Amino acid sequence: MTAPARETAAHALDISHVSKRFLVSGRKMLALSGVDLHVDEGEFVSIVGASGCGKSTLLRLILGLDTDYEGEVRIDGVRVKTPGLDRAIVFQDHRLLPWLNVRSNIAVALRHSPLGKAEKAERVDAQMRLVGLERFSDAYPAQLSGGMAQRVAIARALVNRPRFLLLDEPLGALDALTRLRLQNELLRIVRQEGATAILVTHDVDEAVYLGDRVVVMRPDPGRVATVLSVSGPQTHDRSSPGFIGLRDQVLALLGVAYNGAELSLAREADAREAAPA
Amino acid sequence: MSLGRTLALPARPGIGMSMSDRLRRFGAFAAKFAAKALAGLAVPVGLAAAWFFCARWNWIPEQILPSPDAVWQTLRETTADGSLQSATLVSLQRVLSGFAVGIVAGVGVGGALGASATLRGYIEPFFLAFNQIPHIAWMPVLMLLFGIGETLKIVLIAWAAFLPATLCTLQGVRDVPAGYRELGRVLMFDRRATFSTIILPCALPSIFTGLREGLANAWHALVAVELLASFEGLGYMMAYGRQLFQLELVMAAMAVIALIGLIFHTLLRWVELRLSRWHLEGAA
Repeated sequence: MTAPARETAAHALDISHVSKRFLVSGRKMLALSGVDLHVDEGEFVSIVGASGCGKSTLLRLILGLDTDYEGEVRIDGVRVKTPGLDRAIVFQDHRLLPWLNVRSNIAVALRHSPLGKAEKAERVDAQMRLVGLERFSDAYPAQLSGGMAQRVAIARALVNRPRFLLLDEPLGALDALTRLRLQNELLRIVRQEGATAILVTHDVDEAVYLGDRVVVMRPDPGRVATVLSVSGPQTHDRSSPGFIGLRDQVLALLGVAYNGAELSLAREADAREAAPA
Repeated sequence: MSLGRTLALPARPGIGMSMSDRLRRFGAFAAKFAAKALAGLAVPVGLAAAWFFCARWNWIPEQILPSPDAVWQTLRETTADGSLQSATLVSLQRVLSGFAVGIVAGVGVGGALGASATLRGYIEPFFLAFNQIPHIAWMPVLMLLFGIGETLKIVLIAWAAFLPATLCTLQGVRDVPAGYRELGRVLMFDRRATFSTIILPCALPSIFTGLREGLANAWHALVAVELLASFEGLGYMMAYGRQLFQLELVMAAMAVIALIGLIFHTLLRWVELRLSRWHLEGAA
């Protein structure tokens, strides 16, 4: 027991053999099946997959919102039992509290921080500058555009300087232009803060563009199909052949194929999965 | 590169405006207000005119529909001898104490029911059934329990205010979106923080709906109980006027009740808007 624990403790976050069942209309449904994923400090991991592949469920387990599962989710080798301020999340719906202005919405995350009043205010100001919303500190969420609201949500998530930043399709509800712009900002912000980021998305471009690694998940039951490394200088250039190749490879793994070669890749993947079953 | 720079800041009224701008703004505001007031007054004024002509040309016998000047005269006389004030004061005291007891209990019970599904399972159907019974129907039972003194009145009025306060608070607390609760858990909120930052502000509009309904109910209950079992107050004044066939007295009491009710309603609305300023600003 101790030997493998020590071995896996080399990673910041270890997800080992995690399975999760849900009761759906009286029947147990397998939402996650034997998921293994190990994330290093400072890494940016994208998880991509069709709806219903358990991506968001996985984030809930990492957050500690749900502890009823098989397997282990460990941070530095210690099992996650409750939510903690070392892990922050940005939801797809910005989930700002409509009755609080921008400043208070960010400050709310510091409620249980040991910082003094002045330090808290300073931290909130810094976060608003970081996401470029310092002039909107008194605005209410209903007065903000979708992109602005999502930046506030990002600021709220980062104000505690969390070790892990979990992103649950954070840009999914935004228009295409805003999304591209915010992807760049996200990259800059996460680097600047030095957080370990786990991004769940169904936008393959986004996954490849932002991730150091791309985890491809498949549904029924939710499981990890492949983990691809994104490396090389062309990774942040959307029109480079390397980027396009990787993107098409992920698309093929998700069953969206453009040409014969990729189709055969998808079939191979299907065959690999079918074999042990 | 900041997106904020490409978007216009929301306009702030009153900052950097010239005097003539201010005047124009005020003029526009005054015109808007006058139009609203006129629209609000059109129906009452029309009804008053109809009433005036009915009485003037004796379309309806004076014993049944007293003339507006008779009612006005009564209002002046009862004010002059102080009986209207003392009746109003007695009734107001009853309504306020009953209402206060009712809503404090109602918001408390409703909040607990909204927070606990188990508790709701036990009590909610019972409450929904009770809500169907007109509160005046409780009067005979309550009379046997409490006699016909002050306690009866307070209890009945409190009960009348309690039901809507409870049900609306229950609804408001129960319907706090699960996403907000989840956010509270992620941010490691304790019970107090969850309550003050998430549940209370979220349920507030619903709670205020309950308070306004409770207030209206409290007045209904007051008049009913004073008509049947009282020797003072506005309801008694109405019962007395009816017995003596002085309908102008009845209508004078009605006018006072309507006026006070309107003032209370407006007051509650004002408090609500103050507490949920974000609603207004968000809509702007």
